[in-house]
Amino acid sequence: HQVLRIVPQSDEELQKVQELQGLEHLQLDFWLGPRGLGLPVDIHVPFPSLQAVKAHLEAAGVSYSIMIEDVQALLDEEQMEMLRSTRQLPLNTNTFNYEAYHTINEIYNFMDMLVAENPNLVSKLEIGRSTENRPLYVLKFSTGGTNRPAIWIDTGIHSREWVTQASGVWFAKKIVQDHANNEGVASILETMDIFLEIVTNPDGFAFTQTTNRLWRKTRSKHSGSICVGVDPNRNWDAGFGEAGASSSPCSETYHGPYANSEPEVKSIVDFVKSHGNIKAFVSIHSYSQLLLYPYGYTYTAVPDQQELHEVSAKAVAALSSLYGTQYKYGSIITTIYRASGGTIDWTYNQGIKYSFTFELRDTGRYGFLLPAKQIIPTAEETWLALKVIMEHTRDNLY
Amino acid sequence: DIDDVGHKYYLELELEDVLDKDRTVKCTAEVLYHLGSKASAPDVQLTVQGELRSTEEADKEFYNRIRSLEKELVAENIPDSHGNVPPALEPIHLLAWVASGYVTWQNSTENTKFHLAQVKHVKQVKRSDEDLQFDYVLLLHEMVSQEVLPWEVTVLWHPQRGARVSQCQGPGAGN
Repeated sequence: HQVLRIVPQSDEELQKVQELQGLEHLQLDFWLGPRGLGLPVDIHVPFPSLQAVKAHLEAAGVSYSIMIEDVQALLDEEQMEMLRSTRQLPLNTNTFNYEAYHTINEIYNFMDMLVAENPNLVSKLEIGRSTENRPLYVLKFSTGGTNRPAIWIDTGIHSREWVTQASGVWFAKKIVQDHANNEGVASILETMDIFLEIVTNPDGFAFTQTTNRLWRKTRSKHSGSICVGVDPNRNWDAGFGEAGASSSPCSETYHGPYANSEPEVKSIVDFVKSHGNIKAFVSIHSYSQLLLYPYGYTYTAVPDQQELHEVSAKAVAALSSLYGTQYKYGSIITTIYRASGGTIDWTYNQGIKYSFTFELRDTGRYGFLLPAKQIIPTAEETWLALKVIMEHTRDNLY
Repeated sequence: DIDDVGHKYYLELELEDVLDKDRTVKCTAEVLYHLGSKASAPDVQLTVQGELRSTEEADKEFYNRIRSLEKELVAENIPDSHGNVPPALEPIHLLAWVASGYVTWQNSTENTKFHLAQVKHVKQVKRSDEDLQFDYVLLLHEMVSQEVLPWEVTVLWHPQRGARVSQCQGPGAGN
């Protein structure tokens, strides 16, 4: 294995490097992706692909240097783990391993099993397709009625925040269990529906598994740039393009060419508008251990600030009660940073009063790479906070 | 606010020992962020009020283990995608943290918040003197911009002399 460094000096060279990104069978790991002329690109190349990559570059006259020679391949724990998990798919949602991180296919398979096991409670909706044409699935939990007031929860909008998708899977199972045992959210399901989108950014998620574990954005390519992806949490039509997002396509907070340019975002916008009766909207991220309400794009307080603050206090207290995990809470702009074009700013402005964002564990020790053994504790404590929000919504319908 | 100089912060901190959660130590610190965009590191003065736990034995054990390796240690992706760190690599991870502290200090402003996201790669370099040398590629996550960027850092370590960063290079241009 070697790590090659290329500093593209022309658009042709940039293009050649980009071509390499598309060749998935080479199993290249881009430590530093292409960002522009004169900026280095670092690629970790596994031994079997070395010749092909060098030939590709040399044929195009692209010079490269060998940054690291002979990268010893430590038995990659994670590769072994993934291999072990492709052996047998679990037979049902009781044998599914909630203590581990899963691939997209395993999660989609889980969703189908959950629906098959609980056809009177759970259904799967496809609300759109991603840039790379992956289905955008939402699970609907309903005991009947027509267009009941509903709660929306999404996880995984930023693909590298793996504890969120994993928690979403746990939440899905938990809802079903509560209903079966007539406890917990069973009472909420008597009068309300719950919508849960677990893999909100499937293209990004796939990319974190094949190429770059720390990829955040979507995988869209907009004309005029070699950089890929839009920050789906800056692409909503609330203060779009204002301070708190970047206009550079190479930035992690790139807002995109226009609001709702990303199908992952547009599909939710369309769903929310056509449903028309969503009363609470929770978008889940990691990390930092925060519970946030709008706004992120302006210092102006939302009219419901006091109530949202009180609900947050209660939710955070419930969360902490389980394992002592400490959370802070407040509006986005006063608690974390200024961010424009954000999800819950848009949903709040649509009239969804109970709009919240979570930043789950931890506070930086592992960050995005949270150990799998923390998945269940994280999901359990977060669920207590979610229940506070859901119950308050049910008891204060508007 | 100090006119023509910058912003000074007076801090009271409580440090928690990551390896011994019940152990805390109080500190005070003064941090001065300089005015202007000249990109100079903030001045930091720290006073530790109390004692830090002795790590003499563990240090010695680690030192001897690395010194006796036949082939230089090489590793990557610490933690791995699932957050795992093999126990034998835990000290390497901790040392990376120290190194990332240096990078954070050198690159901090009042509008940055850095965390070590992952040790992308580490290679031991055998030396003729008594120090251990590790060449790291560290991925640092900056919270406000959300960028994750690689930093090449060379760390020297010795049980008595502690850790020193001897070289540090940021993404793209040098540092």
